[in-house]
Amino acid sequence: MSTDVVIRSTRAPARRTPPLAAGAGPYRLALRRLRRDRVALAFGALFLVIVAACLAAPLYARDVAHTGPNDNHVTDVVRVGGARRDVVSPEGIPIGPTWHGRFLLGADQNGRDIAVRLLYGGRNSLEVGFIATAITMLVATLAGGVAGYRRGASDAVLSRLFDLIWAYPAVLLGVALGTSLALGGLNLGLFTLSGRSLLVPALIIGFVYIPYVARPVRSQVLSLREREFVDAARLQGLGDMRILASEILPNLASTLIVFVPLMLANAILLEAGLSYLGAGIQPPNPSWGTMIGDGIQLLPTALHMTLVPGAMLVLAVLGINVLGDGVRDALDPHAPTRLPH
Amino acid sequence: MWKTARIAGAAALSCAAVGGVAACGSSSSGSTAVKEGGTATVLMGTAPDYLDPQEGYTTQSAEATWISYTPLLTYRHASGSQGTQLIPGLAKALPAVSKDGRTYTLTLRPNLVFSNGKPVRASDFKATIERAIKLNWGGKSFFTNYIEGASAFDSGKSDTISGIQADDATGRITIHLTEPYGAFANVLAFPAAGITPAGTAQRNLSNDPPPGVGPYTIKDVSPNRTFSLVKNPRFAGLNIPDIPTGHLDRIKVDITSNTQSEAEQVLQDQADAFDAGDTLPPSLLPQIESKAQGRFAREPVPSTFYFFMNTRTKPFDNPLARQAVEYALDRRAFVRLASGFLKPECYFLPEGIAGHPTGSCPYGSRDGAPDLAKAKQLVKEAGLDGTPVTVWGETRSPRQQYVEYYTSVLNKIGFKATPKIVSDSVYFPTIGNAASNPQTGFADWIQDFPNPSDFYLLMDARTIQPTNNENFSMVDDPHVQGELTRLNGVPATRLDSVAGDWRSLDEYTAKKAYVAVYGSEEVPKFLSNRIDFGSAVFHPLYLNDWSTWQLKK
Amino acid sequence: MGRFVVRRLVSMVLVLFAISVMTFLIFQAIPNGDPAQRLAGRTATPETIAAIRRTWGFDRPIYDQYLLTMRNVLTGRVISYTQQVNVERQIADGLPATLSLAIGAAVIWFALGVALGLLGAMRAGGAVDRALTALAMLGVSMPVFLIGALLLYLLAYRMGLFPNGGYVPLSRDPAGWLSHMILPWFTLSALFIGIYSRVLRSSVLDTLGEDYVRTARAKGLSEWRVLIRHVLRNSLIPVVALWGLDFAAVIGGGAILTESVFNLHGVGQYAAQSIGALDVPPVLVIVMLGSFFVVLLSTAMDIVVAVLDPRIKLAS
Repeated sequence: MSTDVVIRSTRAPARRTPPLAAGAGPYRLALRRLRRDRVALAFGALFLVIVAACLAAPLYARDVAHTGPNDNHVTDVVRVGGARRDVVSPEGIPIGPTWHGRFLLGADQNGRDIAVRLLYGGRNSLEVGFIATAITMLVATLAGGVAGYRRGASDAVLSRLFDLIWAYPAVLLGVALGTSLALGGLNLGLFTLSGRSLLVPALIIGFVYIPYVARPVRSQVLSLREREFVDAARLQGLGDMRILASEILPNLASTLIVFVPLMLANAILLEAGLSYLGAGIQPPNPSWGTMIGDGIQLLPTALHMTLVPGAMLVLAVLGINVLGDGVRDALDPHAPTRLPH
Repeated sequence: MWKTARIAGAAALSCAAVGGVAACGSSSSGSTAVKEGGTATVLMGTAPDYLDPQEGYTTQSAEATWISYTPLLTYRHASGSQGTQLIPGLAKALPAVSKDGRTYTLTLRPNLVFSNGKPVRASDFKATIERAIKLNWGGKSFFTNYIEGASAFDSGKSDTISGIQADDATGRITIHLTEPYGAFANVLAFPAAGITPAGTAQRNLSNDPPPGVGPYTIKDVSPNRTFSLVKNPRFAGLNIPDIPTGHLDRIKVDITSNTQSEAEQVLQDQADAFDAGDTLPPSLLPQIESKAQGRFAREPVPSTFYFFMNTRTKPFDNPLARQAVEYALDRRAFVRLASGFLKPECYFLPEGIAGHPTGSCPYGSRDGAPDLAKAKQLVKEAGLDGTPVTVWGETRSPRQQYVEYYTSVLNKIGFKATPKIVSDSVYFPTIGNAASNPQTGFADWIQDFPNPSDFYLLMDARTIQPTNNENFSMVDDPHVQGELTRLNGVPATRLDSVAGDWRSLDEYTAKKAYVAVYGSEEVPKFLSNRIDFGSAVFHPLYLNDWSTWQLKK
Repeated sequence: MGRFVVRRLVSMVLVLFAISVMTFLIFQAIPNGDPAQRLAGRTATPETIAAIRRTWGFDRPIYDQYLLTMRNVLTGRVISYTQQVNVERQIADGLPATLSLAIGAAVIWFALGVALGLLGAMRAGGAVDRALTALAMLGVSMPVFLIGALLLYLLAYRMGLFPNGGYVPLSRDPAGWLSHMILPWFTLSALFIGIYSRVLRSSVLDTLGEDYVRTARAKGLSEWRVLIRHVLRNSLIPVVALWGLDFAAVIGGGAILTESVFNLHGVGQYAAQSIGALDVPPVLVIVMLGSFFVVLLSTAMDIVVAVLDPRIKLAS
């Protein structure tokens, strides 16, 4: 487990049994409750706006900034309010926000437009976050579900695997894998990835977080399989996979839904941490984490290089976290407001 | 790791290039009252690779070892070009070289003692060279390639180096070479040839360095944290001319990996020196330049920063593609990326090395605007528009920034370039591996010693090898080979006589555009107010010369 | 209890073994990662590289190399590739900084987490509670290296209130130690304070609904007394369990980002440097150490929780 990036789901005191799903009723109810939670909705909307802005990156680059995310303008001169200014000074200090179309939020040390990189970097950070979350959720649900339902040998093997990944300090595992795979790429027979591919950090982050979801899924399935409706299904002669899909999964759904925003937020944070240590998204692809890392080297003279991507990252993660909190409250109204842990 | 992983050094540096009278290290300390003794603290951002003289190969290591382990020959303790002058160290005089250039004879000074009081004998020299080979010193090929019997000793076929004869009674040392090698006197001056007693353990002794002969002794080592140089009381009595006996009692070196706080502490006089091997944080430069006037200077280091262009692979097997790159590079951009610590250049032999050409560049400009139109036209003419190019670079700043800029330029002139940035520690092994077959990317060379042959190793066809290759452009040119065979044999003492030939060779390779050179490095000399800046020598090879530092009264 | 501990210890050995194999393999997969090439340096001849390969045993089969390395790890003789120093000694040198960071931060986040969590629970739904929720949300949404870098910039660089990173041993200069540690402590704590206060708050609110609390109240005990004697004791259980695990992770190099930003020269920073230099031996030892602490403290915490909460039995 890491302490710089923490996920706390397994350690929640599981005193309350999960609510049973009876048709779509509870979810419709939850949705209605969520609609009344204005704060959660506002932050959710904020996150959506950020996603939309990042998707529009190519438009912004072409029509407003007139430069791409990797175009260097080290020796260029830009007009700000009639005055001609170096994009990068002879001492190597980049220009701050101009509040104009070109270099709206300033430049970085290579004379690249921060605003353009911010949007493209957001695309990468979010893409990695979404893919990693999808990997974690899929693998963890499947593995945790099988372990909990089949018990016995499969459970023993899978649980030991979860223990193994879980006991490996997460950031260390991520950095080690990231450094190694960035150099060599991934080669699994049919499936080859270059070290520069965004899928590499996404796979690593998705992998690192599997036990944090798989363990609670397993313990919940362990208790669900003892319930009457599962017995009933078994008596009707339904197969294991069928029961898992039609009886267990719907009852797991609320837990899984709660996990999605939590994992997404953590995946984005871990990506930033890995990129800061050089083990995440590889150049030339920008990401919020790599941009912050670049910025920290020039912190006192080019504060905007850290603050701009930093603020964007915090806003995006905050949006996800607050929305996630709202979703949890809506699904389980008896629970006091709390962070997932 | 490789940034300073070469012994930095320099040759003829003109004081004017330094950009400040104080930086010339003139002994104008007459006006400043100084005292003997005291302690100074050096902050170092990159720890020395080793503090064992027979293992150390980085600048940081040499800073400490060259004043603790004196070799038979060494360099004058002076700033600028004077500092590149070879002087006798533990030898009585410069070597007598035989007519065929293959036999070097030296005699040890009488009555020398190590820091532990034991007498120095001629056989200690032989043991030292053997120890460096056994410990796989990074530059050991300088010994094994040229000293007779050294490679047999290295491979275990012989248990001693047959080409070195040492007579303890007379102190006479005779060294036989396998071929005439002009730079061999420079090789004898490596800190790794700094003499340690015969019988010193054949393992890394960085934590408890062996005895040596020098003004200081390395003590109190805590790896990656701190070590100290303490004055060697036995040295002054040896009366070796031209080697200072040291003023400070102790130089304490603290390793910090945060160059920001390193620079701030020196700025605020909480520590005495910012190690010249470190990069000053650009963010502090304005403050340092205004507040630390008179104790900060940019010192050039003879070095070459360039992009190699593989002449055996598409697209750079086409000379037009290579010329296009030369036209397209804006060398002023690199100066900015280096926060001003780079001198723009287009020739391979840097300023300070004999043979450095000063004329205008064959393609493009040294410090003017690039000719992008011409470059684009050349790429089009060669039919290489849209050719994919992978540009290799390492993570360390500003090298990654250089490569990202270069990639952007390649894209501007019609290539389809993407950078491939790999970790510093594997960068050179990776691009030096034939399997990677790199098209183009970052490379640098910081001299081992002030001799053009050290640079032209990188364009010598004989150095093309499947692993740890350094001839990244795969230059295999008969004219270059012919000239190198001739020029490499000229003894270091007669280098001036062939400077013109080296210049012609350098102009020839520039015309061929084998590599795209953009500049040579400058490093900071940045000391506290406590130390007399004027009399503190900044050595062209070993940077801050701690043995010349004095505290102000 | 005895059997439980024995089983956990056995499984710990297995986990450590598997983790060491995994770490070894991760670095074996790197192309051109041959440590002999790096050790040999630029312009090294193939002969030199071959000689180094022989001396270090890189020419042996991989399982042999693994066994050799592990034997050195267990006997405390493992040597790093870069600088070739004793890894265990390096780690021992880094431990004071890491322990200072971990212990100080753990105390801060536990104390503040509990205090703020209790406050939030007492004022549930009120303005104070909302403000605390907002702060906690911000705390868990900020990357730790961003907090660290901005604190350094503002409080150390701009205002000069603290030193700009680095570590000073407690034994040498207690005041200096404190001034160097304060920012790292709070940087590392920010996230945990956010989490712990929320965990405790919900745990307290949960407990307040339990029957025995109602009974205690019915007996006419004062609200504070009920809170401290009955509620807090039970509510602390999940927080204590969390605390042990996080503490273990921080000691085992989990605070890699915090240590790097503040340049503390601790175990985590050593890990980061070693990974960057593809220096396998230190990474191997640090990862095993970290995993060891995680497994050890999770076992200890299970026992502690079982002792505190009679309803929980130690099973598998």
